[in-house]
Amino acid sequence: MAMTETRPAPAEQAEALPVAVPADPPGIAGWLSTSDHKRVGRLYVATSLLFLLVATVVGAVVAIEGTQSGLDVFNDATSFTQAVRLYPEALVLLAALPLLIGLATTVVPLQVGSPEIAFPRGSATAYWLYLVSGAVLIGSYLADGGPTGASREAADLWALALIGVLLAHTIALVSLLTTVLAMRTSGMTLLRAPAFTFSTLVGGSLLLLTLPVLAARLVTMYVSHHFGADFTGYDGISWAWSIPSIYLLAVIPAGVALEVVPVLARNRVRAHAATLTVLGLLGVVGVGAWAQRPETFDDLLYVAIGLAAVLPALALLGLLGDTLRAGKPKVASPLAFAVGTVLLLLLGAVAGALLSIEPLELHGTTWESGVFHLIVGAALLGGIGGTFWWASKLHGAALPEGAGFLAFLAVLGGSVLRAAGDLINGISNDLPLNAREFDTDGGTEALNALAAAGNVLLAVGALVAVLGVLAALRKRGTGVADDPWGGHTLEWATTSPPAAGNFDDPLVAVTSPTPLLADEVNA
Amino acid sequence: MSAVATDHAPLALPPAAPATRRNVALVGTTFAIAAGIALVGGLLAAYFGARQDVVDAGGEWVDKATIPNVGMAVAYGTLLLSAFTAQWAVSAIKLDDRRQAYVAVGLTLLLGAAFLNALSFGWSQLGAAAGDGGFADHMYAVTVAHALLVVAGIVLLVVMGFRVIGGQFGPRNSEFVASAAAFWHFTAIAGAAIWWSIWFLEGGPG
Repeated sequence: MAMTETRPAPAEQAEALPVAVPADPPGIAGWLSTSDHKRVGRLYVATSLLFLLVATVVGAVVAIEGTQSGLDVFNDATSFTQAVRLYPEALVLLAALPLLIGLATTVVPLQVGSPEIAFPRGSATAYWLYLVSGAVLIGSYLADGGPTGASREAADLWALALIGVLLAHTIALVSLLTTVLAMRTSGMTLLRAPAFTFSTLVGGSLLLLTLPVLAARLVTMYVSHHFGADFTGYDGISWAWSIPSIYLLAVIPAGVALEVVPVLARNRVRAHAATLTVLGLLGVVGVGAWAQRPETFDDLLYVAIGLAAVLPALALLGLLGDTLRAGKPKVASPLAFAVGTVLLLLLGAVAGALLSIEPLELHGTTWESGVFHLIVGAALLGGIGGTFWWASKLHGAALPEGAGFLAFLAVLGGSVLRAAGDLINGISNDLPLNAREFDTDGGTEALNALAAAGNVLLAVGALVAVLGVLAALRKRGTGVADDPWGGHTLEWATTSPPAAGNFDDPLVAVTSPTPLLADEVNA
Repeated sequence: MSAVATDHAPLALPPAAPATRRNVALVGTTFAIAAGIALVGGLLAAYFGARQDVVDAGGEWVDKATIPNVGMAVAYGTLLLSAFTAQWAVSAIKLDDRRQAYVAVGLTLLLGAAFLNALSFGWSQLGAAAGDGGFADHMYAVTVAHALLVVAGIVLLVVMGFRVIGGQFGPRNSEFVASAAAFWHFTAIAGAAIWWSIWFLEGGPG
């Protein structure tokens, strides 16, 4: 058994070196022309965190409007509605999803032992398209566009920008998924793939089948609007961040949690196959492009999927709880992020299950917003936690642990407060979504204030995460361990930051889901 | 237990093969096709959803007499035919028959261009412009999006054609040709689905 883990002789290594990957030119030109997946991933992470800051500030202002019935922060109803529309679009499509794509773009090729991503220029193109389209999207709102804007040209631009963002994500996902399927190192079967890589495969595949459906809807809306009609049926868009589709956003963060917990617990997950099964089930319950119309909320399938979504979240909690219990956990900020991710996912799945029960009549109330914030909160915790976990590979520097805990507390606290206010207002006061004027009985305003405080905390969390990345940029090159956590998977077998081509030495054949742990044990 | 192997270099196994690129182009194309299927499926779902809303409200979705059945059948039939010539190109490359490959790629491009020409002729025959109502808006959204996919396929074929001329492909290196052909097959099959859903169902046999 140990034979296969024996390091080869140097002479043999030289012959078997992977394909040469050229280094980027220095300076700005290098950043503009890079197709190195690690640099592209860093660009994704930094940009998505900036968009997260924008989105959470918009969300906070929208929430503050609800702290008092009739309060007029936005001056007019149109501006308020525009901000209400921009908030989830930016939070999901410009912040949370690209953050996860950025992490995966950096980490997945390393985890599968590949010298590069499958389509380096495709990934770079995807990033620049995302950046430009995202900026245009926000610009279109500022120019009085969006689905409710008065400027028809800016409204057209809104639809085109969203289509551009979706196209960018689709291209990025094709590159990632191809890397997982076609560029794994010798011996790494899919069943031996690390949890994060497998979650990228599951979540990415299902997103690949979901985002184009959203794009299709936007294309039809654009054609109608461009040639004279008004935008109608925002339901055709908002399903993407409602249950069940929103669960897709939690698949990759679940993979992050499954990477972090065993390493920091100094233990293996008892059954790797079970882990992969749970990730698969989490993906299955997130297939939701079919549930676009309110008529589907009565369907048995909708209810069944809503209820079933609790099971993979519970199983995930069980798997990680068992791993923690049987191990010797080391307290570090990524562990807090990982546990928070799973807890928010479970809470979100339970709240989503109640939402799917039609007799409770929670659709159209702030309960929906509560579910949204729990799941997006889980995604943000997973994504930001991932940036702290893989900071040495992303930035070549460790991020400050204090910043990690602060960001964790802010994002977790923000998500919970926002969701608590929304959930209670939804179930006890039947408060409609995004109402500017409402009945103030039942403590509605106080609960909205609680939700607004949550949004402010989310913005603080985003700010801390941005500052953490800036701190990492300043510390880059000051020395960081190649494997600061004692990781189990191949990304920890290379330098921090990894050189062009990722691995200096050829890798030995992988024989288990935790190749570095196997080496350590055998040594 | 590993000491024996480690201490005696001659007993060490050779290193694993470097990360192999297993059909990267083909796998990537398959994912792109999956996204394309979702796009076309989403467009057709939006089309049928809007149609159902109009019919449920007692309205007329489209004046069936205006549907250019024959023109559209010819257009999409041409595209379907081109799938065979695209596969012919793959087969020719695998047989290392460059001359046949040139002819097959050229014919596929010609048929693709003919499809776009016939489609634009069909649009002109329809007499409805975008903005004229639900049918026109959705029909143009679906058919223009599909036409753009065909254009993307043509670009792929042109790139492939130049690389065939440059001698980059052969029997053991035909993956890129197969990928381009697979994408072309997708556009042809998607075209058939669109023809059936929009033109045939509305206009009946031409």
